[in-house]
Amino acid sequence: MATVVSVQNLRKRYRRRDPWAVDGVTFELEAGQAFGLLGPNGAGKTSVVKMIAGLLRPDGGSILLFGSDPGNPAARAELGFAPEDPDFPKFLRAPEVLDYFASLLGLDDEERKRRIPETLAFAGLDRERRQVRQYSKGMKQRLGIAQAILGRPKLLILDEPTADLDPLGRRDVRALIERLKESGVAILLNSHLLSEVERVCDNVAILARGRVLKEGTMSDVVPEGSTLEEVFVQLIEANQPQRDHLPSFISERQ
Amino acid sequence: MNGALAVSRYTLIEISRRRLLLVFFAIGAVGIGGLGILLKVFTSAFVGSASFGGPPGSGPTAAQMEKLTELSFVSNLIGVLGLFALLIAFAIGMTAIYHDLESGAAVAIFSKPVSRFAFTVGKLVAAVVAMIAIVGLLSLEARLVMFLFGGGLETALWFESLAGVANAVTLMLLVLALSAWMNNIVAAIVGFIYNGAAGVVVTLHQQLVSGNLGDNQVLHAGLNTLYWLVPHALVSSAPREIVRQEFEIFAANQPEGAPSVDQMVSSIPGPSGAVDIIWWVFVVCVMFGILYFAVRRRQV
Repeated sequence: MATVVSVQNLRKRYRRRDPWAVDGVTFELEAGQAFGLLGPNGAGKTSVVKMIAGLLRPDGGSILLFGSDPGNPAARAELGFAPEDPDFPKFLRAPEVLDYFASLLGLDDEERKRRIPETLAFAGLDRERRQVRQYSKGMKQRLGIAQAILGRPKLLILDEPTADLDPLGRRDVRALIERLKESGVAILLNSHLLSEVERVCDNVAILARGRVLKEGTMSDVVPEGSTLEEVFVQLIEANQPQRDHLPSFISERQ
Repeated sequence: MNGALAVSRYTLIEISRRRLLLVFFAIGAVGIGGLGILLKVFTSAFVGSASFGGPPGSGPTAAQMEKLTELSFVSNLIGVLGLFALLIAFAIGMTAIYHDLESGAAVAIFSKPVSRFAFTVGKLVAAVVAMIAIVGLLSLEARLVMFLFGGGLETALWFESLAGVANAVTLMLLVLALSAWMNNIVAAIVGFIYNGAAGVVVTLHQQLVSGNLGDNQVLHAGLNTLYWLVPHALVSSAPREIVRQEFEIFAANQPEGAPSVDQMVSSIPGPSGAVDIIWWVFVVCVMFGILYFAVRRRQV
């Protein structure tokens, strides 16, 4: 199978004195695979996917996106990226946002007329007439996923795609991932919902403080009789300082 | 190129929906119309019966007074247009790129196959088109109001509008470029201070040129250098022409030995020459370069 993304020894830090946000991450993703990137808050997952999408510059290592540097616009032609906490030009309406992005993707008029209404219907925004500034977080997340699939990408990056969605929205995203995988699209999924990752991903990497703690196929990472959540909690707790779970005043009688 | 066009098109749609710009435009339109109508009512009501206290026949005639009123209107109009061009420059400069970069909209945009250069060009084109459209409409209204006075300075007004747009574009680019590096309110404050400082330098330079600052060579060299370092405003022939015509109305009543009209208008900035226009183009290119560099290195 063709390699869609190749990440080698990737490093990133935001300021010179800061610790590395991403420190030596290496993995590959092939067409038709779903790869789960897991980790606690601040583990470096979003930094990794933003570097793959050409939004952040790595401080070390290399990324090949469809064989090219992600900074090259042509390399991003077949990439769909649904960011965590997405936002859009706030005075536009959903069809205008999709038309804007369709123009950036170079879709012709005929394709736009076909794809935009269908994508809006999938996202449940086909009857929405308000401007984006009046949207809830969940509606923005739906629009974020809609713009990511508009160009029929060969690689779809979903960064916490279901964080602000209701249960029906989550079900739709799960169905979307499964359908896209079947059609040969590579999926890179960042999520805290481990049951979801376990259900849809073939490969998984668990990160903490910028480093990969464990990586492999789902069956390599999760032994029989165990769950991904159990493996995740054990790994993270073994690799970060123990904390008191609750502040002492919580247990005091009123 | 398609990317730049798309960015430009949707930025223009966004700009057209911003209430602040609509408010500025509405105030400008009402201000210009109101100014013209008030001056016309004033001249119609009072000019015919005006007395200036001198011997009969020594003051301006009713026709001259009407001309003076028109000149006063055009002079005020130039001030109003310049002020609104600056306000609009600040409003567009503070928002056109800053909101995309800060809100996270840039994350979705930059992950598409569009280069940062195309994005910057698209934003710039939209900002300049919006500026020309708004100031152009206000100038058009001003031109219509001038029919109330019989006209005569239309060409001067058009050139002054052009100069106003050119000056506002420089300031807008400065604020746009700064807002890609820092908070947009701080960018506007820096732009405001810079614009004020540039105005002082240009005024001092004009005084130097008209011989009002003596012949201190160090002062000459310093002000000349400063003048070519700041993006000084372009000027049409209108301000000098208005003052000249005002002086000419009263010229017949001047005592013997009074300075000539040419001497009196020499302290008013004359029309910008080819070198000034080339300098303006250079400044615009430099500002665009700074803006592009800021957008290019921006990590979102």
